[in-house]
Amino acid sequence: MDSGGATPMTHHAALSWRAWGLIALAVAAGAALPPLLASTLVLTLLTQAAISGILATSVGALLRMSGVVSFGHATFYGIAAYLIALSIKHQWMAAEAAVVLALVVPTVLAFVLGLGIVRVPGMAFSMLTLAIGQAFHEFAVKARAVSGGDDGLAIALPPELFGLPIAVFQRPHSAFVLCWLTLAAVIFALYRVAHSRFGRITEAIRENEERARFIGYETDVPRALVLAISGLVAAIAGVLFALYNAFVSPEVLHWSLSGSALIMAIIGGPRLLWGPAFGAMVFFLVKDLAGNLTEHWQALIGLTLIVVTVLLPVGLGGSLIRLLAALRGGAAR
Amino acid sequence: MVAQLLNGLVYGGLLYIVAVGLVLIFGLRRVVNFAHGSLFMIGAFVGFTIATRYGFWVGMLGSVLTLAVLGLLLDALVFKPLRDQDHNVTLLVTFGILLVLEDLAQTVWGKDFRSLPPPDLLKGTVAILGQDFPSYRLMVIGVAALVAAGLSLWLRFSKIGLYVRASSVDPVTTAVQGVNTDRIGAVVVALGTALAGLSGTVAAPLLAISPSMGGYILIESFIVVVIGGLGSFAGAFVAALVIGQIHNFGVVHMPWAATMIPFVLMVAVLVWRPTGIAGNRV
Repeated sequence: MDSGGATPMTHHAALSWRAWGLIALAVAAGAALPPLLASTLVLTLLTQAAISGILATSVGALLRMSGVVSFGHATFYGIAAYLIALSIKHQWMAAEAAVVLALVVPTVLAFVLGLGIVRVPGMAFSMLTLAIGQAFHEFAVKARAVSGGDDGLAIALPPELFGLPIAVFQRPHSAFVLCWLTLAAVIFALYRVAHSRFGRITEAIRENEERARFIGYETDVPRALVLAISGLVAAIAGVLFALYNAFVSPEVLHWSLSGSALIMAIIGGPRLLWGPAFGAMVFFLVKDLAGNLTEHWQALIGLTLIVVTVLLPVGLGGSLIRLLAALRGGAAR
Repeated sequence: MVAQLLNGLVYGGLLYIVAVGLVLIFGLRRVVNFAHGSLFMIGAFVGFTIATRYGFWVGMLGSVLTLAVLGLLLDALVFKPLRDQDHNVTLLVTFGILLVLEDLAQTVWGKDFRSLPPPDLLKGTVAILGQDFPSYRLMVIGVAALVAAGLSLWLRFSKIGLYVRASSVDPVTTAVQGVNTDRIGAVVVALGTALAGLSGTVAAPLLAISPSMGGYILIESFIVVVIGGLGSFAGAFVAALVIGQIHNFGVVHMPWAATMIPFVLMVAVLVWRPTGIAGNRV
């Protein structure tokens, strides 16, 4: 994160040509990947990683902007997925409208919830998000008449969505590009938010809420808005998941999904905008490799979380940057 | 009706024993132990393993002692070294411990559900106002009452109790007054985890024992602690009794919403009083 609060805001919003170059490179690399990779299996994995990367980005953004740890972001993700399934099943509206609804409802829910609970202390916030998430999960399991219970719901998607054939959203080759581009767009949008006037205010509130209030800022609404933004990003991931899988079950609401997203964010480095997404890529890659070697994936991820949290607060992403900087320094010398 | 109230007390009592362990640890270390549900689960398995060989009561004692030792380790290896770190660090580390403990339990005891029969002495029923009620369940209520009474006396009259109460209200001033929170930290954390072991074993004949059994109780006891007010013993007591009754009412009368009711209550309490019903009182 850059410092220097005295510089004009517009300065921060401007990206250097190198940053643009890196973004273009990352986007192009993603888009160029499918034709190069013959393996549908790898692409399936990468598509899942990109969707989870968006979810992890939402958890990381909340941690970066508000300093609080959420154990319940699967709630916004899962509600988005279920809303698509339900509105199509009951023919409430066109599928395109369902997508919009699935983005709006979790955002509003996050905002209202935020207004209610932003004043609780940070640790209580973490406990609450866990409880809220689990309440929705249990509801989805128990309310069989609405949600189909543990069996879940198949989503009968129309042949076309937003003018695109539905296969675009579902075949790994195109779905990966779509999810990858969405991920890049989300990270870019969060960058703009972080460097806007609003982003500065949230930073001030995170560092010292009392002082921010003292110098005249209303702090509850901005904090609720941060939760809403983060909820919207989680909902985007949920929508992509629903379109890609054409099926939802209560697992999309379970706290272990929230926990995984949190772990990805921490491992990748929540202080970086792209850290959580990077964490998601590493998570899926290692999971795939480790899955063949050990049955103790859960213990492995738990130990990794402990080690990274204590010894590597910048995450793997932060270490990568340091490593690159050190290499460049070494080359210059 | 009587049976329903009593069943609410059974569940509320169990929740109280788990939640008050969280409160103890929070009061002194200012951290929320996300691994507390897993300690409850480990307590159930340890109790089950010892009880199947040496009887229920030995199992209960063994579980309490084992978990107390685990608590000492937890304090020495996690809470104490991380005491100056950001709260989120400790929180995430205890989350990591949760994952490791669940995996460990799965490796040692397998994924299958186990069950532990109640001790022979308590296999029958007792007639209360014309209704038969399992005597084991009555004992659970008794254990919870004993824990509550014992803990209140200990907090009220012992030196450590005084320190714990002081630290729960204001840890900084307490430390300034010369209370060595590190020394008593070990005792308090061990007591908190021992209570998780006790509740795990006591709950074992009522629930199915499995590596994933900790998640549900963790979340419910979080609700209790948040409603009661983080760090409040009296608040946790009241909240556990209320949630116990509400949970039971929900399960009987509206099963589809049973888990939503405590959650709605929690949000309502927090909007009304962000620091819980007890506020900043102990």
